[in-house]
Formats: sequence, structure tokens, C-alpha cells
Amino acid sequence: MAAVKQTVEQVQGLEKYKHGFSSDIEQDFAPKGLNADIVRFISAKKNEPQWMLDSRLDAFERWLAMDEPDWAKVNFPRIDYQDSYYYAAPKEKVGIASLDEVDPEILEVYKKLGIPLKEQEVLAGVVGSPRYAVDAVFDSVSVVTTFKKELAQVGVIFCSMSEAIREHPELVKQYLGSVVPVSDNYFACLNAAVFSDGSFVYVPPGVRCPMELSTYFRINAENSGQFERTLIIADKGSYVSYLEGCTAPMRDENQLHAAVVELVTMDDAEIKYSTVQNWYPGDPETGKGGIYNFVTKRADCRGDRSKVSWTQVETGSSITWKYPSCVLRGEGSSGEFYSIAITNGRQQADTGTKMIHLGANTRSRIISKGISAGRSSNTYRGLVSAHPKAKGARNFTQCDSLLIGKHCAAHTVPYIEARNGQAKFEHEATTTRLSEDQLFYAMQRGLSQEEAVQLLVNGFVKDVLQELPMEFAVEAQKLVAISLEGSVG
Amino acid sequence: MSVAAAIRTRDVGELPSRRDEDWRWTDLRGLIRVLPDASEAFTGTLSPGPFDRLAADHHVLVNGGDARIDVAAGKKTLVALRLVSRGVGAHASRVTINLGAGARLRLLESYESDGASVCQTALTITLAEGAALERIVLAQDHEDAVSVSQAEVRLSPTADFGQTIVASGARRQRLETRVVHPGGRASARMDGVYLVADKRHTDHTTVVTHEGVDGTTSQLIKGVARDQARAVFQGKIIVSEGADRTDARMGHHALILSDRAEVDAKPELEIYADDVSCAHGNTVGAMDEDALFYARQRGIPEPEARAMLTEAFIGQVIDRIWFEDARKVVRKWAAERLRV
Repeated sequence: MAAVKQTVEQVQGLEKYKHGFSSDIEQDFAPKGLNADIVRFISAKKNEPQWMLDSRLDAFERWLAMDEPDWAKVNFPRIDYQDSYYYAAPKEKVGIASLDEVDPEILEVYKKLGIPLKEQEVLAGVVGSPRYAVDAVFDSVSVVTTFKKELAQVGVIFCSMSEAIREHPELVKQYLGSVVPVSDNYFACLNAAVFSDGSFVYVPPGVRCPMELSTYFRINAENSGQFERTLIIADKGSYVSYLEGCTAPMRDENQLHAAVVELVTMDDAEIKYSTVQNWYPGDPETGKGGIYNFVTKRADCRGDRSKVSWTQVETGSSITWKYPSCVLRGEGSSGEFYSIAITNGRQQADTGTKMIHLGANTRSRIISKGISAGRSSNTYRGLVSAHPKAKGARNFTQCDSLLIGKHCAAHTVPYIEARNGQAKFEHEATTTRLSEDQLFYAMQRGLSQEEAVQLLVNGFVKDVLQELPMEFAVEAQKLVAISLEGSVG
Repeated sequence: MSVAAAIRTRDVGELPSRRDEDWRWTDLRGLIRVLPDASEAFTGTLSPGPFDRLAADHHVLVNGGDARIDVAAGKKTLVALRLVSRGVGAHASRVTINLGAGARLRLLESYESDGASVCQTALTITLAEGAALERIVLAQDHEDAVSVSQAEVRLSPTADFGQTIVASGARRQRLETRVVHPGGRASARMDGVYLVADKRHTDHTTVVTHEGVDGTTSQLIKGVARDQARAVFQGKIIVSEGADRTDARMGHHALILSDRAEVDAKPELEIYADDVSCAHGNTVGAMDEDALFYARQRGIPEPEARAMLTEAFIGQVIDRIWFEDARKVVRKWAAERLRV
């Protein structure tokens, strides 16, 4: 009964949003508001070359001409784009050479978050324990990237986006915006104009990245938006696994997080991208505050037999609006999407994926588990399409929704477009509440109602948790429990 | 904005376009540049309709008009309703159907066009408590026609509503049914079959809104697309807050029998109550090669084997028709279209 014991322990360890602290760190802000000068300010702050500034200004121009979309099943007051800071950075000493020079307050924040920034700590761990390299993004800038030297030995480039623009302009120029074009959508366009930082990864041909790469995003400053940009390129025959985690302090105002993530895989390459999103969800009673998480994530499987696997655990944010997608261009390429989306309190989530089959014999698999509790609303929205040339395309989709409570909502909105006779698409979806029989069984064995719910929910999401890297899986399981706290009884 | 308004005002701006979420796969504004003139009154003799021999009571609307069918409480009747388009004009029809408490109606509805007409039919159907309606629709439009049928159905508790829409497509063909379901042991069956070939298009759109406890909905739609045809299925089941113990099942399965045919589907669930059991399944694909191989290996020529397997595939929906005589008409109609 190890699993039960573990679950019981987890339930005991429950606490409210534990990342809700904010830290007093000296910060550099851009003036409040958004205009072309702010875009220039951000670019100048980051010492960017002219071509980057031009591309930002071009994006800003286009953004001004666009309308904010409203088709998602989410409701929120109109965002005042002038009432936010678009750049906030911890005041840093020029050119940090080692961790010792990083503001100790920031290190304290990451310590609280449990991020093993200090390589020594990781190395001091149990022999044979997995190690992972970390890029930490604090408000608008990347503060520290670890294990860079060791990665460089095998040719892997892992650095902040600002550094990549300076050090590897040819790669950035070639790939940035090639998966998510500047004017792809309203929020991606805004991001292209004001993005501050993010991670850049390049894995050279034939290299299997020796460790997990990860980024922790933290919004700390008040009234600021975070616009990070991540670009991962897996060259021929390479493999990389990348994790991202997000947290923010508890604040009464809504903060906007509009990130763009672009993945490119060449022949036989594979990227595994895992997200544990735990932004502050807002007050569960009043719905006040919380992060607006409007993110564009897309993978371009350019090479034959390439593969991208998205795994996400979405528990935070007051509003989530994101669809990690795969463009399956290469022959025999494949895409996977495993998702757990949990909404509680007054959270709203409209999330899912797009699998666009362009090449022959492309395959995709979607497993989505949505749980809604409290007064929340949880929508799965997905597209599976096959182009006339995508002969032998294959998709399997399973979306299950679980409802806990009388006032929550769960929706399933799949779009299926088959444009040739040799594609085979299967889709199934169910919506139910927790089984009374199973609850009764668990409670009759001595678990309290809340514990029983945790146990059943963990069983419900198991298929997806299994896809997460080990360290994340444990964390995610705990997160699932915390997110649903107080949703029964 | 509606098709009926467009026909009345002759303003193409009133037509729904792909920018309207409900019409994303059936774009009329992009298709129709100029609306044809209003259809002229028809004076000739009509050829017989598909259900003529089954029904004693006939309602025939040629090139538009209004019809009303009332079934008094406790009565039982069988009605054939023909919506006929002759020529290349535009017209709209309105049909009102009322069933009193415990009344029973078998409605045999057919859409028959013979040219590039643009027509819209609005049906308003109301079932009182304990009433039962089986609606069998045969949509056999001309390949150049644009045909839109929109039915609004309101059920009362303990009413039974069953429909099977059988369609062969048109230039654009839209068959839309919206049901307001009160729960209270009322039931709705929302079936459909489509067989589209050449460059035809067909669109089956259904929305069932469960508003009270203890309602059931069952839906099975199956179809076959060949050549460069395009089939659309949009099904939506809404369970409103408080509509507990709703049991809703939706299934859509399509065969694509050519490289250039297209099937688009959007099976949607929108649920605001927790004590429900809702599920949908959707498959799109080619014919099972193993089954085909088996049939051929038993000495059945390939075209014959294909027709046989397709017939069996859609036969499952036809078997769910309650009225046996109509089931036979539909089965024969389908068989004729499959063996070409």
C-alpha cells in the first residue's frame, strides 16, 4: 500500500499556494506603459544589435493593427496594456562571473522555490542521481544559467535568449520566428515586440543532451508582465529533454504572462518538453488577482522521423489560454501531447493542442485530463488535421474530464479535419464526476473524504504523470493535491 | 444574420460565412456572390415523392410557403412532408408542428430540388408531455442546389423524439437541428447518415441543450465521402447547471473512400453540472483493409465487397429507425447510392 501511504503523506503536507511570497529586490523598471520608446528601451537595456530592434519595432507596429481575440471560453475584464511594466530586472552587477555575485536575495528566492541552482548541491546528491542544468528567469531577465561549461563540451548551447542574440546571432536569425511568425496571433505579436528574455537551446547533430535542461520562471515585481521567449533547436539525430516551472507571488492585480516557445526538430531528432505551471491562481473566493497565462507554444517537426512530446501540468493562473502544437512536416514525424489541467476556485482554463499532419505517415497522440472544481471552468480545445499529402496519418485522442462540485464547468471542443482517404483519426471523450462507489470504497478503508478524492484524482491523471521526468512527477503529484485542496465537503 | 433574411432581402451580406464559428465549414457568403431572384410559383405536375406510398396525409410545399401540422392529444398519425424546389430561384419555407399530450407522429420529410436553387426551411416542432415524434428526413438535393434546413425542437418531460437524417449532399447542404431538452425522462435520438460523392457537400449540425434532471440523448451519425466530396458534422451537447443525471452519448464515424474527399468534425460537450455521464467518440478513416481482404478471399469481387462493407457500416444507423416501412425505404435508397 505504498501508494496510499504516499498519498496520505502528501495530503498531510498540503498547504495553500506556497509560492505566494514576494521578495524585496532592487529592481530596474522601464517606465509604465507601452509604446515604441519602451520597445527601444528594452532593446537598449539588452544591448541588442540593430536587426533585433528593427524586428521588435516591426512587431510592435503590427501589434497595434491587431484586435485582441475573444473566442476562448474565458471571461475577463479588458486588459489595459498601458497599465503595466514591460521590463523589470533585478539590479545586477555588470557581468556576473559566478554564482557568488548574484544578489543573495534572488538566490534566497530560488532556494525557497527548491531550485538546485548551486551545482555543488546537485553534485552532492546521491551518486547516480540525475542532474539537470537550470536557466532561471526572474521577471524580465535570465539571472543565471548553470552547467554551461559541461554542456559546451558536448556542443550543446544552453543560455539566455539575450546572450544567444549576442553570441549566436546566425542561429537566432535563422530560427527565431520561423515557427511562430511575428503576426501569428495577438499575444505572440506582443511578445515579439517586448520579449525580455528566455532560454535558448541548440543541440548539435547526433548529440544526446547529457542532462535535463530546465528553466524556472518567476514573476516577482508588481504590475509587471512577463514575456519570455524560448527557442529550442534539435539538430539531426539529437535528443533533449527540457523542463519549465513557473511561480509568482500573490497579488491583487492581474498580471499578464505572454510567452512564446518555438521548437524545431530536424531528421530523427527528438524534443521532450515538460511544463509544470503553477502561477498564482488568484483568490479562490473572489477571483481577484492571478496571472493571465496567454502562451503560444509550437513545435515544427521539420525533419523526417523527428518527434516532439509536450507534457503539461497546468494548475495555476487565473486564466490559462494555450495550445502547445505540433506541425508534423517531416515524413514519419510524430507529436505527442499529454496534459493535466486543473482548475479550482474561480480559475478558467481553455487549453489543448493542435496536431497538423502535413507529411506522409505522421503520427500523433493526445491524452488530456481536465479536472474542474469550485466555480472554475475548464475547456479542452484541440485541432487534428490532415493535409491531402499526409497519407497514412494517424491520430489517437483521448480527453477525459472530471467534475468535482455543482458549480464548475467542463467543456470539450475538438476540431477534426481529414483531407485525405488514408488518414485515420480516432477521438474519444468522457465527462463524469468522481465515482461514488470508488469514493465509498476508499473511505471505508479509513481514508477521509479529502484523502479519498486525492487518491482517485491521482489515479485519473496517472497516464500523464508517467510521461513526466521522475523529479517533476513527484512534484506534480503533490501539486495536483494542493490545487484541489478544499474542493470537497 | 441568417439565410432566411438573406433570401428575403437579397443581401448576400446577411449570409453566414466562415468567420461565423457555426458555419466555419459551410461558408455561404464566400460561395454565393449574387442571390437568385425569388422562385416563381410552380404550376406543373410533380413527380411522386419518396414516401408517397407510406403516408395518407401529405403536405407539399413547392418553392416556399407555410405548412402547419397539428396532432391532437392522444392521436396517432403518419404524415409525409415534401419540401420541393423547382427551378433556379430562391425561396424560404416555414413549417410548424405541434404534438399534444401523448400524441404520436411519424413524420416522413423529404427535400427535393432539381436545379441551382437557394432555399431555406425553418421548422418549429413542439412536443407536449408524453408525445412521441419520429422524424425521418431524406435530403435528396440537386448537385447545384444550396439547401438549408433548420429545425427548432422543444420537448416536454416524458416526450420521445427520434430523428434520422439521410443526406446525399448538394452544392451546399446544411441540416441543422436544435433541441431544447427539459430532462424529466424525455429522450432524444439524433441520428444521421450521409453518402456524398462527386463535388457535393453536406453538413449535419445538431445542438441539444439539457435544461433539467434525468434526460437522455443518444446520437449516432455515420457517413461515407467519395470523390472530392466534403462532409461536415458538428454536434454539441450542452448540460446546463442543475441538469443532473443527464446521460448523453454521441458518436460520429466516417469513411473516406478517395484521396480527395474531406470530412470535418466537431463533437462538442459543454457541461455545467457534475452528476452526469457524457461521452463522445469520433473516428475518421479508410475502409478496413482486412475486412475487404476477407470478403475477397471468399470470392466476392472487390466493388461488391466494398459496397457490402459500406452498407453494413451505415446499416447500424438505419437499424435504429423505429418505423419499419421507412427503414426499408431508407435502406433501399442507400443501397442504390452505394452500388455505383
